[in-house]
Amino acid sequence: MSSTTLSRRRSVSRTQSNISGWGFAAPFLLFFLVFLVWPILYGFYMSLTGKSLTGANNGLIGFSNYTEAFGDADMWHSLGNTLYFTVISTVPLVLVALVMAALLNIGLPAQWLWRLSYFAPYLLASTVVSLFFTWMYNPQLGLFNDMLSKVGLPKVAWLNDPNVAMWAIVIATLWWTVGFNFLLYLAAMQNIPAQHYEAASLDGAGAWRQLFSITLPQLAPTTVMIVLLQILASLKIFDQVYQMTAGGPAGSTRPVVQYIFETGFTGYRLGYSAAISYIFFGLILVVSIMQFVITRRRSA
Amino acid sequence: MKQYESLAGKQLSRRQLLTGSAALGGLALAGSLTGCGGPAQASAVQNIDFWHLLSGGDGIKMQGMIDKANQANPGFKVHPTVLAWGPPYYTKLAMASAGGRPPEVAIMHASRVPGYAPGGLIEPWDLGLLEEHGVTSADFAPRIWEKSQQNGKVFSLALDSHPFVMFYNTDIAGKAGLLGSNGQLQAVNSPQEFVAMAKEMQKVTKAHGLSFGYLALGSQMWRLFYTLYKQHGADIELTPGQPMKVDRDAAVESLEFMALLLDDTIAASSGDINTAIAEFARGDSGMLFSGVWEIPTMKKAGLPFDAATIPTLYGTPASYADSHSFVLPRQLTVNDEKRRDVYKFVTDVLKGSLSWAEAGHIPAFQPVVKTPEYRKLTPQIHYANAADIIAYDPESWFSGSGSDWQTYFGENIQNVLLGRDKASVGWDAFERRTNTLLSRPNPV
Repeated sequence: MSSTTLSRRRSVSRTQSNISGWGFAAPFLLFFLVFLVWPILYGFYMSLTGKSLTGANNGLIGFSNYTEAFGDADMWHSLGNTLYFTVISTVPLVLVALVMAALLNIGLPAQWLWRLSYFAPYLLASTVVSLFFTWMYNPQLGLFNDMLSKVGLPKVAWLNDPNVAMWAIVIATLWWTVGFNFLLYLAAMQNIPAQHYEAASLDGAGAWRQLFSITLPQLAPTTVMIVLLQILASLKIFDQVYQMTAGGPAGSTRPVVQYIFETGFTGYRLGYSAAISYIFFGLILVVSIMQFVITRRRSA
Repeated sequence: MKQYESLAGKQLSRRQLLTGSAALGGLALAGSLTGCGGPAQASAVQNIDFWHLLSGGDGIKMQGMIDKANQANPGFKVHPTVLAWGPPYYTKLAMASAGGRPPEVAIMHASRVPGYAPGGLIEPWDLGLLEEHGVTSADFAPRIWEKSQQNGKVFSLALDSHPFVMFYNTDIAGKAGLLGSNGQLQAVNSPQEFVAMAKEMQKVTKAHGLSFGYLALGSQMWRLFYTLYKQHGADIELTPGQPMKVDRDAAVESLEFMALLLDDTIAASSGDINTAIAEFARGDSGMLFSGVWEIPTMKKAGLPFDAATIPTLYGTPASYADSHSFVLPRQLTVNDEKRRDVYKFVTDVLKGSLSWAEAGHIPAFQPVVKTPEYRKLTPQIHYANAADIIAYDPESWFSGSGSDWQTYFGENIQNVLLGRDKASVGWDAFERRTNTLLSRPNPV
């Protein structure tokens, strides 16, 4: 075989493999176009119309939905709630996961049992979690207030006090989803080479010293990833709130996703709710770009 | 080569599979053919889709009425679909109508019709066709008939009216010396008299005089508020593009009275609806403010009770209520035969609504109300006067039962009832929220 025929054959096989490559990608691409790209484009178009669920006012109205949204106190309030939830849920979801993973990693017996019980809640549906916690938060019959009154503390109106309700949602969310972050941390910890610790102990470093000088720095990339994933997950908050407080009391837990749902589906104003979605989409885009930049800089 | 063979083998088996499934399809076809070969009647049976939001005891009663109508009419079969009360139901009904695949007939709250009719989501009833089935405007109480219309056309055909009423424990009221010679609760005519009565009952129960559960339930707060507000003889007008027209003093006074009741002596300061119902059923309170639909629960609890409209405390008799009404969701193409069957079904249910009254609702169809059987139903007959004094929600595209507007009311008023906000503060916030909605483009 001469080199020319070889190269020709190679180029032929390259086009062939290109075709078969596209062929393999086609099912996904089709879904991607139909269920992601098209809705994104159509949603944006919808946000420029006065479209309503009843089919009225389909015409283009320019950016007036956006100007209305920027002046809409309820949108800002619900967006604020989403951001507030993101901040007060991300911190414990990362820290508690780290502590749980560290505790497990120092070598408790029956590792599989701990791993399973930490991770198991994550497998539950949000409806199940919401029902559990709604019962436990019940002001008269709930578990939490029963415990509080047994130790002589005043009862708390968990889901009915505007100052407490968001924290109650955070506690439920923490119990529900911390297992995922915990698993990521545990995997990362078990990947840290043992000789680092050996060398450190030879040099006389104690357990705390090792934690701060070896474990935590080695976990830094995982931490960045967990924080960013958690922020994105928390921004999407809707299920638990909708099921536990429906946005109340006094709108103190209504996240922006619920406001979008209300304006669009129960309030008929699809165009306007699409506009709010795009404002929220912009926010998520900023976070995602941050994630992209940070992770790329780390890996470069 | 070996791999190739196995691949070819796979292909062969795929062909086999295709042949196999074709055979299966043929089998199914044959099956359906034999189905058609059955009694000729079977193929003429029209399937009528019917959506409603009645669950629990109401749902069972409704199913009974559907079964009865199906038995009486071999020409059609009504298939109900039950969806969850409130936003889940109304979003789906609106979307199905907008998308052109709605059920043939559905139940709506009369108060929600103003959000549906102008946008063309539902179609008007044909009065001529109704008359053929023996149902005319004369068969409905004037307030209910008036409510069934939008722009002079009848869009909703009321099955009932279900007011917000007062239940009372006859034992406790008797011990407190509050029963009249007819065995019913003595009339009270002012807020002071009502408070005095509740306190007398509290002395008997040692717990509370009144139960009213409202936490996290805007609709429940609204029902009591609107009853008291309308008793002032005042109205609320919601016109898009204009601020809400309301008697603010009457609104604030009503809210202050509600907050005053929730003092942990007259009524528990913070309780949800289930806690309140349980409290009353246990006999830990003498009275309960709630909807008539709680009657089956109370009967099951076996306590001695009666019911009446909420006493007129501010001069004008008024009682918050809504009506479950039949509507015709807009069809892309109307199937005339199915339409006729729907008229038959709905008029049959109206005429047989005595069993619906057992669930607590006041039948809208007057010939039923006039029957001796209904006159014998207690406590139903003791609040049947509500039909003449009922107050529906103020009309707009965003008001009505299970609407976001009632939720917004709860969001702004709950703190007033919990004693955290002044009534005027809560009211003004709700009024601002309403005015924002009114200033937005009307989507229907």
